[in-house]
Amino acid sequence: MIEIKQVTKTYADGDALANLTLTIDDGELFVLVGPSGSGKTTLLRSINRLVVPTSGQVFVDGVDVATVDLQDLRRHTGYVLQSGALFPNMTVEQNAQIQMEALGWAPAKMHDRIRQLMHRVDLDPEVFLDRKPSELSGGEAQRVGIVRALAPNPKLVLMDEPFSALDPLSRRQLQSLVRELHRELETTFVFVTHDMREALQLADHLAVIHSGRLQQVGTPADIMAKPANDFVRNFFDDEIARSRYMQQVAASGLGKVAVGDETVTLDGRDTIFDWAAAVQTQPDVVVRVGKTRLVAADLITYMARMTGGDQQ
Amino acid sequence: MLQQVWSYIAKNQHSIWLSLLQHIEISALAAIITIIIAIPLAVALLNHRRAGEFVLQVASVIQTIPSLAILGLLIPIVGIGTVPAVIALVLYALMPIFSNTYAGMTNIDPVLLEAADALGVSRRFRLFRILFPLAMPMILSGIRIGVVMIIGTATLAALIGGGGLGTYILLGIQTNNNAALIVGALLAAVLALLASWLIRVLSKVPLKRLLIGLVALIVVGGGVYGVRAVTAPKTTNVTIAGKMGGEPEVLINMYKELIEQDNSNVHVTVKANFGGTSFLFKALKSGKVDVYPEFTGTVLQSLVKGDQTVSHNQNKAYQSAKQALSKQFGMTYLRPMQYQNDYALAVTKATAQKYHLQNFEDLVSHPELIAGFDPDFYAQEDGYPGLKKAYGLNFTQVKTMEPSLRYEALAKGRIGVTDAYTTDPQLRQYHLVVLKDSKHFFPSYQVHH
Repeated sequence: MIEIKQVTKTYADGDALANLTLTIDDGELFVLVGPSGSGKTTLLRSINRLVVPTSGQVFVDGVDVATVDLQDLRRHTGYVLQSGALFPNMTVEQNAQIQMEALGWAPAKMHDRIRQLMHRVDLDPEVFLDRKPSELSGGEAQRVGIVRALAPNPKLVLMDEPFSALDPLSRRQLQSLVRELHRELETTFVFVTHDMREALQLADHLAVIHSGRLQQVGTPADIMAKPANDFVRNFFDDEIARSRYMQQVAASGLGKVAVGDETVTLDGRDTIFDWAAAVQTQPDVVVRVGKTRLVAADLITYMARMTGGDQQ
Repeated sequence: MLQQVWSYIAKNQHSIWLSLLQHIEISALAAIITIIIAIPLAVALLNHRRAGEFVLQVASVIQTIPSLAILGLLIPIVGIGTVPAVIALVLYALMPIFSNTYAGMTNIDPVLLEAADALGVSRRFRLFRILFPLAMPMILSGIRIGVVMIIGTATLAALIGGGGLGTYILLGIQTNNNAALIVGALLAAVLALLASWLIRVLSKVPLKRLLIGLVALIVVGGGVYGVRAVTAPKTTNVTIAGKMGGEPEVLINMYKELIEQDNSNVHVTVKANFGGTSFLFKALKSGKVDVYPEFTGTVLQSLVKGDQTVSHNQNKAYQSAKQALSKQFGMTYLRPMQYQNDYALAVTKATAQKYHLQNFEDLVSHPELIAGFDPDFYAQEDGYPGLKKAYGLNFTQVKTMEPSLRYEALAKGRIGVTDAYTTDPQLRQYHLVVLKDSKHFFPSYQVHH
């Protein structure tokens, strides 16, 4: 568990974080989202103390990070940076084993672990282990970055806008890879992004941060259904309007209260387009979102209410 | 020209080879010391940006001081020979190697440094596996610049008795021997290019092997050096040095033969072309040199303190020089040789015939002749200024030039009259006419010790 208690970080030009308190549970995929300059990266860095807070405390598993051996803390924390941040003078394998090497793993054990993870992220070890970072595409480099972060089996992985420099296709692939990996591992992921769609798609819980202050914490469904303030509403507005999340359909008052077993269960984060696809293959499909059951007629009604693409 | 160079090389093969080795030795020593100082210093100052910038400024300022001036400044502190030469070279090469190392290490992508911190690497890992490899191209280019600079500047070591290829360059300038000059300059240039190429090749070798190689080189080099120092024969008792040029070399070799003839157990080392007057005198003072030939006039005019007017009487001049040297420096000024080298004024045969020139007075009526004088002669009270007073000479145009160049200039008609040393072989070579000093203005310049 990560507890951030009343953390303030003051720079010469003002507060990057203002008295921020937040708790992240074990095993969560927790997303910190906000516009650039909001303080989300500063908050992430205060967890492994790359940033030393001006005041306040950060606890990881109940231990104040100000009091621990930093090198040890960091060697047990995975870290993924923008565009991989692989060392250009080292091969993929050398890059991937940095933390294990620092922790004193045996070479054979390191090699096996890296090969296993390379397979998991769909990179052939035979092809890639001896390559230099300059011989990798952006997506491949970031996969290696993920291998490096997961290699020593950390309990916590921090990700600082890892996919923001990638092309849309690679980004989508890596987003689903991260979700899969998170589901398989019992690891806490803290993920920073400025992309609200990415935040909504990945997060178990997300925290919206603006001007160094926490705006709202909750599940994507909570936040879409009940934005806490104008900032949060505006921040997600475009995204919500464009995506037509099922959560919105459920919140619009259509449908009936679910009772029995429905054929298809959709997540609040699925969109009406997923629903439409389901209707296309099975015209009389009944879908369930949370406690609401919806039939094909509801889809038509909902779409009829949409005006010019900006209907809530 | 090419033929001259070849025959010069053939004749002096052995000593050229020795000079080349000496040049490499001085340069390598200076380069290794510079690297050992500059790179750790840059690493130590990495996290102290202000101190780093300060060192950078100081190194740049040192760089702007002409290397000749650095050599001059170092003589009173560390004397002459290889030591001040190496120190000057180190000071000189410090700036490119330090600044490139520093820049290379401070300009590493901050994202990579953040990654290194976030992964919790050790300081050693950070320095040797991340900082050094990433800065290596910059560091190597700094070393390349530094080494090329060292090899070029090391030619100046010859000025202070450090030896090396500069000996031939200086000799060539002093004695107007282009073959020697070309040999010295060309070898130095080739050496610089070779070193630059070698470093470029080495830059492709992995760091670890490079470090092992460097350590091995230092150990082997140090071993060879040590063995040579221990086994070197210790029969050297007397060192005789001489100024630049052929004339002092003949003199000191005569001394060597005379001394060794009389004392079979004394070994005499001859150091020809050792340097200029002040270098030699300082070498004598510091005991690096035991004997060197010097002119009475120079002793009185330049070396001893006090307003020493030079007597035109040979014996009187010798006595006053001897007393001053013994009193001020505790040196012995030996009895003069039967050899005299005086200042004179020379013109070409054609000029002498055309204007009927025989002695200095005859020049008074020809101020239109262009005079070309040695800078010392032009400035010293016993030179042209004195002549002006004594004879009323007043040339409308006076040029100062290198002593070695003025005879040729005279022969080619670029100047009309020049100062001359009466022993210079060029007087005969160019069929010059030495005018008579009818008023005995010039003091006698005899050679003593």
